[in-house]
Amino acid sequence: MAPVPTIQGAAGYKKKDGTFSIAQDQKSIQWQPVGARDAEKVVTIAVANITNLQQTPEAAAKVMLKIFEKPPDASESVTHLFHFNSPSNPRGEANAIKDALTNLISALKANDANTPKANGATSAAMAIASAVTSKPTSGPARWYDDAGLKTDIELQQSLMKKDPALHRTYMEARRTKPDIISDSQFNSQFWSTRTNILRAHAVESHQKRGAYNVLSAVKPRQVDGELKMNISAEQVQLIFSQHPLVKRVYDENVPKLNEMEFWSRFFLSRLFKKLKGERIVETDGTDPTFDRYLDASNDSGLDQRLLGLHIPNIIDLEGNEENQGGSRGGNRADFTMRPGSAAKVPIVRTLNSLSEKIMAHVAPSDVDPADPIGMDEETFNALALKDLQGDAAENRIMLNIKEQSQFFANEKSAVSAEAALYAKQVPSEVLAGLRSDVNPMSIGNGTGRGLDLSSAIGVLEESDSEDERKTAHVGSKASLVDAQKQILEGVKARRLEIDGSSAQTSLAGLSQKIFDRLTLTHATTTEFLHHFWTIFLSGDPDRAGELAKMVETLERAMDRINAVAADAEKERDQVIARTKQDILDIYQRTQKKTKWDPKSVAGGEKVVKEMMEPTTRAIQKAMKEYKKALAAEGIDTS
Amino acid sequence: MNAVDGSDHYEAAVEGPSPSLLVIVLDTNPHAWALLAPTLPLSKAIANILVFINAHLAVNNANQVAVVASHSHRAVWLYPRPPSSSSSEDVEMTNDQPPKLDDANKYRPFALIENSLLASLRDLISTTAEKDVATTSTTQMAGALTLALSYINKATVLYSDTTSSSKPATNAIDAPENTTGLQSRILVVSVSGDLAHQYIPIMNTTFAAQRLRIPIDILKLAGDTVFLQQASDTTKGIYMHLRSPQGLLQYLMMAFLPDQMARKHLVAPTQEVVDFRAACFCHRKVVDVGFVCSICLSIFCSPPEGAICLTCSTHLALGDYGAKPAVVPRKKKKKRRVNGGGGDTPSARGTPVPGE
Ligand SMILES: [Zn+2]
Ligand SMILES: [Zn+2]
Repeated sequence: MAPVPTIQGAAGYKKKDGTFSIAQDQKSIQWQPVGARDAEKVVTIAVANITNLQQTPEAAAKVMLKIFEKPPDASESVTHLFHFNSPSNPRGEANAIKDALTNLISALKANDANTPKANGATSAAMAIASAVTSKPTSGPARWYDDAGLKTDIELQQSLMKKDPALHRTYMEARRTKPDIISDSQFNSQFWSTRTNILRAHAVESHQKRGAYNVLSAVKPRQVDGELKMNISAEQVQLIFSQHPLVKRVYDENVPKLNEMEFWSRFFLSRLFKKLKGERIVETDGTDPTFDRYLDASNDSGLDQRLLGLHIPNIIDLEGNEENQGGSRGGNRADFTMRPGSAAKVPIVRTLNSLSEKIMAHVAPSDVDPADPIGMDEETFNALALKDLQGDAAENRIMLNIKEQSQFFANEKSAVSAEAALYAKQVPSEVLAGLRSDVNPMSIGNGTGRGLDLSSAIGVLEESDSEDERKTAHVGSKASLVDAQKQILEGVKARRLEIDGSSAQTSLAGLSQKIFDRLTLTHATTTEFLHHFWTIFLSGDPDRAGELAKMVETLERAMDRINAVAADAEKERDQVIARTKQDILDIYQRTQKKTKWDPKSVAGGEKVVKEMMEPTTRAIQKAMKEYKKALAAEGIDTS
Repeated sequence: MNAVDGSDHYEAAVEGPSPSLLVIVLDTNPHAWALLAPTLPLSKAIANILVFINAHLAVNNANQVAVVASHSHRAVWLYPRPPSSSSSEDVEMTNDQPPKLDDANKYRPFALIENSLLASLRDLISTTAEKDVATTSTTQMAGALTLALSYINKATVLYSDTTSSSKPATNAIDAPENTTGLQSRILVVSVSGDLAHQYIPIMNTTFAAQRLRIPIDILKLAGDTVFLQQASDTTKGIYMHLRSPQGLLQYLMMAFLPDQMARKHLVAPTQEVVDFRAACFCHRKVVDVGFVCSICLSIFCSPPEGAICLTCSTHLALGDYGAKPAVVPRKKKKKRRVNGGGGDTPSARGTPVPGE
C-alpha cells in the first residue's frame, strides 16, 4: 500500500456508475466505470489542467462536483460533471475529494508562482483556486463544529446575556460544583449538552437583518396638534436608499428648510402618501415644496440594472413576448401587471417596486464567489427539462431495515414478574380450568334458555351488606362501592388537573421566592446529573476521582433540596401562626370563634418533596448505579 | 361478507346523535385468567361485559359492537363470527338444545350477541392445545388491535357510504342523514402484563388510532403494561387499573360507557400518571436509560455491538458513551472517596467569571 491513502468515492459520470479517485502520484484524477475492463472508458484529468472546481451547496440533495479542465493546447475548457452517489456518505466523499483537489491545485499554483503567467486565464484560475481553498475556514462551517462552539466563550456569554435563566443555572451550578473539577472542565461539560442552543444562537446572531419598508415603520404621532416622531439616522439612510426621490427633495431643499421642519412636513405631505402607496384624497393638505415632486420619478435606475441582468431565456417572460407576438397575442395581462397608470393600484404597485428594490439591495448569500458569471449549476438543474431525460437516478440514503425478530438476542433472559407467575402454572390445569369455566352448564346457558345475566353478574338484590362482607364475590356490594370510589377519585384528580392550571395554583402554596429557589435548585441538580452520567458512562478510569466528587455533589444537591423543603415548611408554619393569631384577636375582640383548619394551608415541605420527587428519584438512581459499580469492583460502600 | 357486519339486524336511526361502534379487545391469555380465576373467573367477566355491551347497544339502536379475543397464539374474532369458521352455528351446539333466540324474556339482539360470543369463546378455548399454553405466556395484543382497527375502518367506510345504495351483499347499515359519521372506540380488557416484545407493533397501532381519532380505553384487570398506558394516553382514551376487579361492572358502566360525544362534556376518570418508558429493540426490555439510533430512531439498552445499528446498519459515532463505568482510578487503589460529603461547603471559593 502507498503511504498516502488514496482518496476515492463512488460517483456517476455521464449516467454511468463508477469510482472517482485521485491517483497516487497526485498528478491526476481518474474516473473508472463499474466493471470496466479496458482503459479506454477511464476518464483521466491532469490536476495541472484543472481551472476551476464547483460543487453543489452543502444543503443540496444532489452532491455534484464540476471540474473545469483546460489542457494547455486547447482554447476552450471542458467541463466534467461527477455525481457522487455513494449510498452511505456521498457528501463526505465529495468533500474529501474536493478538499484534496483544492490543496493539490493551490500547491501546484504556489510552486508556479515565480514563473510569470503567459496569459490572464491562468492567473484567474489561480484566484479561483485560492477562493476555493479559503472557503472552508470561513462562514457557516464554524456552526457545525461542536468543539469550536464549546470553546467560543464570547458566544456563550452572549447567549447567557440573552437567556437569564440559563445564566442563573450556569452560575449556580458553577458555584456548587465540586472543587476537583476545574472551571474549564466544568465549562466544556456544561456546554457539551447545549451545543444545539449555542449553534442556534450563533446562527441567529450571525444573521443580518435586512432592509424593511421604512416609510410604514415611521409612525408620526399627533401630540397637542403638533407632529412628533422619532426617526433615527439609520432610518433616514434607508429612506434615501429606498426612495431616491426623497434624497433629491432633501438635497434641493434642506439648506432652506431646517432639518426638523423638512421631515415633519414631509410626513404630512401628499408625496409621503404617494410613496407609501396610499391614495391621495382631496382633503389632504397641500404643500407646494413637496407637491412639486409628485410626478417626479422615484426610480433609482433599477429597471436599467434589471435589464442588464442575465435572465435565462426559458424563464424570461419578456423574451417570450417576442416570439408569441408580444402584446397582440395571448391573454391580456392582469391589471396589476400592466405598465403605467400608477394611480390605479398604488399600494400593490408601491409594495411590489419596494420589494424589488429591497431584494436588489441584498447581496445574495448563496452565491459562491468562485462561480462563473451566468447560470450556476443549481439554476441549470432547476431549468432543465427533466421530463425529457428519462427517470432520474435514485438519490436517497438507503435505510436497510433488518427483520427485527432476528436480533432477539436472548428472549428469555429477563423474565417479568408476570411471566414468572405464569411459568409456575401447569398448562393442562390452566386449560382444564378455563374449559370448565366456560362450559355451558356452569355458565348457565346450557338449558337452552340463554344466559341469566342478572344472576351471572352476581348482583344479589336481597343480600344485605352484612352477609356480603363474609363472602366476597363478583359483583358484591363492597366491590362495587370500592369501584365507584376509585372512579370518583380518578375524576377528582382529573378535575384538579383541568382546573389547576392557573399560575397561582401552580405554586401550590409556596411563595414565589421559595419557588424560584426550588426552580434553580432543580436546574442545577439536573445539570449535575448530566455531568454525572457523562463521566460515569465515559468509562475513563482517569476520571474516577472526578466521578467520586460528582457523587458528593449530588449528595449535596439532595441536602439543598431538603434545605428548600425546610424553609418552605418554616414559611408555612409562619402562615399558620399568623392566622392563629388573627383568629385569637378576633375572638378577644368579638368573642366569636372562627372555624379554621390548619390543614387548609398549602405549601410546606410536602409540596416541595412532591415537586422534587422525580429529581430525587433520579439522584437515587445515579447513586445506586454508582454504588453498584463500586461493589462490582469489590469496594465496600457501606 | 354478510357476517362481518354487526348491526345488520337493527334499524338505523334516521336522526339523532351519530351511532358509535365499540370494539372490545378481550385478552384471553389462559395463564392470566387462571391466576385471576379465584377473584374473577372468565365466565363472570364475560357476563359483566355482556351487560355492558347490552347497555351500549341500548343507548342508540344504531350502535354497533364487535369483540376480538387476544389469545395466546392468535387474535380471533368472537363477534361477529368470521364466516370462514368451519363450524357453523348448529354444529357447535351439538350436545345442547339449539338456543332459543326468541326467548320472550330477552331482547333478541342481546340474545344474538350473547350466543355468538359464548359459542366462539368456547370454540376458541376448546381449540387451544396444551402446547399453545405451554409455549407462550403472552397474548397477541398487537394483532388484536390491528384487527380492531381494520374492522373500524371497514365499518366507517360502510357507514359513510351513503351514495351507493345498491350493496346487496352487505346488509347495508343505513347511514342516517347526519354527517358526523360513526364514532368508533376500542376497549381493551387486559389481564396479562409483559407486552414488551410487542412494543413496536403496539406503538404502531397506537399511532394509527391516534390519527384516526379512535380512543383506546384500557381496563386493566391484572398485570401491568407500560405500553397500553401509553396507548390510552396518546389516543386520549381512559386508563383504569382496577383496584377491585370484582366490581368490574361498576367500572364498565361508570367509566367506559360514555362515547366520544358524551366524553366531551364529562371529566374522564383516567389515571393521570403515565409511564412513558420505551422498550429496547434488542431485548424488549423496558429501559429508563437507553441509546437511540440517530438515523432510524431504534432504541437500544446498550450500545449495539461494533456501534452498528441493528435495525438500519448505520455506523454510529458513539463518543465515550456506554463504556463500563470506571469508578476506580487506574493503578493506585484509593480509599479517600469515602466520607467527605456534606462537610465542606463549596461556596468557600470565590465566584469566578464564566469562561476562564
Ligand atoms: Zn436490549
Ligand atoms: Zn438505525
